[in-house]
Amino acid sequence: MMGALLGLLLVAADPCAPVTLATAPDPETAAVYRKTGDDERAAGGADTATVAYRNAAALDSGDAASRRALQSLCVEARAPSDPFQVGLGQMEAHEWRSAAASFGQVRRADGDLSAALLEGICNYQMGHDAAAEPLLRSAEARPEHRDLARFYLGLVALRGGEAARASSLFAAAAVNPTLGTLAADLSRLARLDGRLVVSFLAESGFDTNVPLAPRGASTTGGATGGMTGGGPGGTMNGDGLYGLGATVLFRPSGLNGPYLRGGGSLRQQLRLGTYDLGGAEAAAGWQVSREGRGAIAEYAYSFRTFGGSPFLSSHRLAAAGWMPGGGLTWSARYAAQLEDYRSPTLAGFSGLLHRAEVRAALPFAMGNWVAVVYGASRDAAKLGITSFTEHGPRVELRALLSPRLRLGAVAGLSFRAYDAFDTVIGATRTDRYLDAAALTEYDLASGWTARLSLEGRKALSNAPALEYDKLVPMIGIAWQMGL
Amino acid sequence: MTTSGLLVLLGLTLSAGGAGADEHLLAGARHFREARYAAALVEFRVAQRLGAPEATRYAAVSLVKLGRPEEAVEAFGGLDGQGPDALVDYYRAVAAFEARLYVAAHRILATVADRAGPRIGEQAARMRADVERALHAEPAAATIDWYLEQCSAGRGSGRPVLAAAYCREAAFLSGRRPDGYRHAEALHGGGPASGQQGSGVKP
Repeated sequence: MMGALLGLLLVAADPCAPVTLATAPDPETAAVYRKTGDDERAAGGADTATVAYRNAAALDSGDAASRRALQSLCVEARAPSDPFQVGLGQMEAHEWRSAAASFGQVRRADGDLSAALLEGICNYQMGHDAAAEPLLRSAEARPEHRDLARFYLGLVALRGGEAARASSLFAAAAVNPTLGTLAADLSRLARLDGRLVVSFLAESGFDTNVPLAPRGASTTGGATGGMTGGGPGGTMNGDGLYGLGATVLFRPSGLNGPYLRGGGSLRQQLRLGTYDLGGAEAAAGWQVSREGRGAIAEYAYSFRTFGGSPFLSSHRLAAAGWMPGGGLTWSARYAAQLEDYRSPTLAGFSGLLHRAEVRAALPFAMGNWVAVVYGASRDAAKLGITSFTEHGPRVELRALLSPRLRLGAVAGLSFRAYDAFDTVIGATRTDRYLDAAALTEYDLASGWTARLSLEGRKALSNAPALEYDKLVPMIGIAWQMGL
Repeated sequence: MTTSGLLVLLGLTLSAGGAGADEHLLAGARHFREARYAAALVEFRVAQRLGAPEATRYAAVSLVKLGRPEEAVEAFGGLDGQGPDALVDYYRAVAAFEARLYVAAHRILATVADRAGPRIGEQAARMRADVERALHAEPAAATIDWYLEQCSAGRGSGRPVLAAAYCREAAFLSGRRPDGYRHAEALHGGGPASGQQGSGVKP
């Protein structure tokens, strides 16, 4: 009997499929299946009820009650689709507009707050925040939807630049374990966000190869302390350093709309003062985003000093866009930077630098993602020996280890080829760069974050004198405030 | 599961039921292994009716898999104590977690971690950490209201085990508030208690 039953069960979920009678009728067992079917049907388990009734009908050709129940389940299954279920399917397929319409139909007919919640989420996804907010507010009234509704209300508030309100909504949503870590992270971010955001960073560390000297060579002499190689001269190039940085971001309309950004940074070597870096940048841009898609355009002017002297002045135009597709977030970025090196000896490096990249990011778990990026750049400098084309891939990872602890990592490989034959090195220079970096951040208190980072580069070249490697471990503290 | 785990469990318990019940227990286990949880549930229910009481907990595990956690809590017969098998207890905790009975889930998970295999143990530990984070903050009055509503609804729909679990959850959460919001009511199983109001006013 069991083999026959298992065979019958292969089509068991379809109440409309014809029932094949078992070779050995068993009305007693059929009655047990029928009772089980009745219970399951009463509990709302249409699939399980169908399985039970089909087994009953197969074991007892005279079981009219099970056949009637199957017929009824068949009619229900063939009835016009429930718009709520249709909406769920559309939502699954990211058809936000159609899904919102389906949920809206249910909400208007029944006042269903589950439909209101999902309609609100669909509207948020489309960027229709004004439509989303009242729907989410109404869904918030129902306790089982409260946490998710608050989570999306937080996202709406965050997009509208209301950081304080967003933060408290995320904090409220974080009581739900299924949202906890992500909501807590967003609450932290929102607390630090706003129409006006001010941030400050102080850090200190060690650079094992400040002058980018080749392995084993010493270019700076003097003190000890480097880690660049095994040769005796390799210990001369390392130096301790400290850095300070500050930025101000003003977004009068929130995430979408115009913005102004300004900042300055300073990186001082403890010993090799001729390698001190300083810089300031001012930028103006505009961001638009809707339905998971977005674009941003920006103009920036920056000025840098090197060793205390004017070094580089540049104007940059940049544009970027992103969109979802195939479970990934795709993005592309392009920037053109007009560079003017201020020292007469470096004037040959001046020119137009183009940079472009495409990126595919795969989210995993909540708030985590891994991305693959391919970038290319073209530096059209005044001299052929300083002009180059560079390209290569990199992988990025962001992991939310706990609500207060985050990890970021990046690793990449790039290939650079210069345009012209360089008589000094006796070759047309080609380089390869292996880069890697890792950053850990831990939130100490509201607005305060401790940072630990390690950056490394290995440069390989067809000119051995231009090969080098370096490591830069840093420890720092950052502060950010949003108003 | 761990289907293999369920089969092993079934193998160990087949002698407990009658011959007909055993046949349905085995059929349920096969369906479960092949992820046909609806069919598995039906077979376990039939086995139960034919005199295999142990089929009840396998039916409960199938209900968890079918996304019916409230029915699973009822089918497990409660959320107290430690069951004979860590795997079934893990599913008991999942049912509690999905029914938002976080305190109960936490209590069960505490007994699972050391008894289950490494994979389930790790999942249990992760879920437990999630619950601990969720329970860290002081519960809102509205949250306690919701649990008491579920308690009352459970009683009204003939699910006394589930109703009691919601009330116990409400009692634990209200006990963590300085104002003891509706605490006595929760301790009395969701019924009105003198001196307690549902308005959030201190008693």
